[in-house]
Amino acid sequence: MTSIATRLSSYGINVAIALTALRTNLMRSILTTLGVMIGVLAVTLAVAVGSGAKVSVMESINSLGSNMALVFPRPDTEGGRGTEDRGRLTMRDARAIEREIDGVSAIAPQLRSSIQLVATGRNASTAAIGATPGYGIVSNITAERGRFITDADVNSASRVIVLGPTVAKKLYGDFDPVGERVRVNRVPFTIIGILESKGSSFGNDNDDIAIVPISTARQRFATDTLAGPDDLHMLFVGFQDGFSLRTAKREMTRLMRDRYRVRDKEISPFTIRTTEEFMQETAQVTAIFQAVLVAIASISLLVGGIGIMNIMLVSVTERTREIGLRMALGAKRSDIRNQFLVEAAVLCMIGGVIGLILAIAAAAAFEKAVDFPAPIGIATSIGAILFSALIGLIFGGWPAVRASRLSPIEALRSE
Amino acid sequence: MVPPLVETQDLVKEYVLGGETVHAVNHVSLKIERGEFVAIMGASGSGKSTFMNMIGCLDVPSSGEVLIDGIATREMTSDAMAELRNSKIGFVFQQFNLLARTSALDNVAVPLIYAGVSGEARRERARATLTQMGLADRLDHSPAKLSGGQQQRVAIARALVTNPLMLLADEPTGALDTHTSEEIMHVFQTLNDEGITVVLVTHEADIADYAARRIVFRDGEVIEDGPVANRRRGRAA
Ligand SMILES: Nc1ncnc2c1ncn2[C@@H]1O[C@H](COP(=O)(O)OP(=O)(O)OP(=O)(O)O)[C@@H](O)[C@H]1O
Ligand SMILES: [Mg+2]
Repeated sequence: MTSIATRLSSYGINVAIALTALRTNLMRSILTTLGVMIGVLAVTLAVAVGSGAKVSVMESINSLGSNMALVFPRPDTEGGRGTEDRGRLTMRDARAIEREIDGVSAIAPQLRSSIQLVATGRNASTAAIGATPGYGIVSNITAERGRFITDADVNSASRVIVLGPTVAKKLYGDFDPVGERVRVNRVPFTIIGILESKGSSFGNDNDDIAIVPISTARQRFATDTLAGPDDLHMLFVGFQDGFSLRTAKREMTRLMRDRYRVRDKEISPFTIRTTEEFMQETAQVTAIFQAVLVAIASISLLVGGIGIMNIMLVSVTERTREIGLRMALGAKRSDIRNQFLVEAAVLCMIGGVIGLILAIAAAAAFEKAVDFPAPIGIATSIGAILFSALIGLIFGGWPAVRASRLSPIEALRSE
Repeated sequence: MVPPLVETQDLVKEYVLGGETVHAVNHVSLKIERGEFVAIMGASGSGKSTFMNMIGCLDVPSSGEVLIDGIATREMTSDAMAELRNSKIGFVFQQFNLLARTSALDNVAVPLIYAGVSGEARRERARATLTQMGLADRLDHSPAKLSGGQQQRVAIARALVTNPLMLLADEPTGALDTHTSEEIMHVFQTLNDEGITVVLVTHEADIADYAARRIVFRDGEVIEDGPVANRRRGRAA
């Protein structure tokens, strides 16, 4: 027990010796630690921006709707082979999926088209989604004012439209346009609702859309890219919470391949993706993005580490006589080595703490300036400080070992 | 039977410089018993320091053996040597070798760090030893604020703080004036009277006269070894 206490107190002594040595050459210590400081600043910011990217991508995937599959009428060429074939996806497929697949909570068949809106002299163009009430459920979106489209709207193909907040603002400013008439591709429509805001992701405004009944879209908007009168541009399939999308995807694929009589080894004329897959791919991509950022930033930390190594070598040379003296007084090689390791680690940790504080300030400024999250959490902070200590141990290692290998008498006789 | 405190057997230290071999210490065999006060003399370059450094386990012989308290040192690891220096030997240097910008108390406590003595006990023992050296009112002074004689007494306190069996002092008065030298020699004599073995290197005959035994080196060999005829007794400060 006493030996542990002694150990600890001797580390305390080492820290005290280190601080004294660092204070003695204050200017030099500051300049040396500057390298580590900048390195830690760069790496911490890289980590922050990387995790910010991850957070914002995950958020935008979540804004799609949490547990869902997306089906496109596009041949699934994930295996690598390209194809000229036109894909297939129809309303009948959508109903079959709703009927036969376990765990489906709602389906949202869609047609997509770009439209021109004109109201009281102002105009706007946006992307229109021809949808059913299921779209609101699967995408987890509601009308903030007015109402969303209903089954009745779909059945009667009525000329009603729900505007995204951006479109509403472009056409009407702050005026509430619910109940107003708007001309969509020259045809008069009634605005029945304004969607709640979904913000933006990657500079892409999620509020710059409009929603009309799918039947209306089919009648009135150009759908020339489709093969038949029952075809869809896209289908969202919502699943109950916690339901395995992996199984669901397998079942859906099997069902659809049966429906189109796709033989083994032939590619499917449709593509199914799930939010689970997006999440995984995104996690991978953002991890790579973050790793690249950190790797680039690490170069500055490496340079800082080399600065530490340089200064520690100078320090060892300058204090050769002190090393000899300590050895004469009974210091073991490990004592000398630890003394210099602690000195390097303390030097780096001071740089690390300052670098971290600067990084936190810079991240806050960055978040304000470009509206992009750059979180620096407790784990990152502790990691940054421990990592800077590690840099000290790594780059202080060789000088420290060199100091410990000196012969006592040669060290004492130096100068 | 108690072994001699120091025994050298056929001790040799050679340096090869530019193809020429210098025999700094040339086949020296001698014994120093517990409680002795030995002065090592000789002209510059005669091998005094080299010999001293080998019996202090700071330097390794080219051949031959050094036994400290009956223990052979030739095969010792560097850690074992460090421990031996720490526990059995106290060094006093010509240039004092105190840590700058470090208080007298902390300077004296350094060997205790390596002996594994914990913080408070370390300070207590350092304080007691400095008090013994008559420096009770200089504990917090850094070396720059102490006179040469005071600095050397701090250094002696540092050598004594681990209760070693012997003090090895290479020209301890070399940087001091005559009066202060006499004071320091008195300190050594008092310590020797209390039972500690003292070995000192000097080239001044009147400093050597404080010792009880004189060993004279020439060209790395012992040419004279015997009791001091008219031993001087130092005077208190
Ligand atoms: N590291 C070394 N390399 C080469 N030669 C050395 C070394 N150390 C000592 N010598 C040589 O060994 C001989 C003895 O040196 P040493 O220092 O022991 O003499 P000394 O008796 O202590 O002299 P002084 O009274 O001047 O201190 C000298 O010739 C010296 O040049
Ligand atoms: Mg000498």
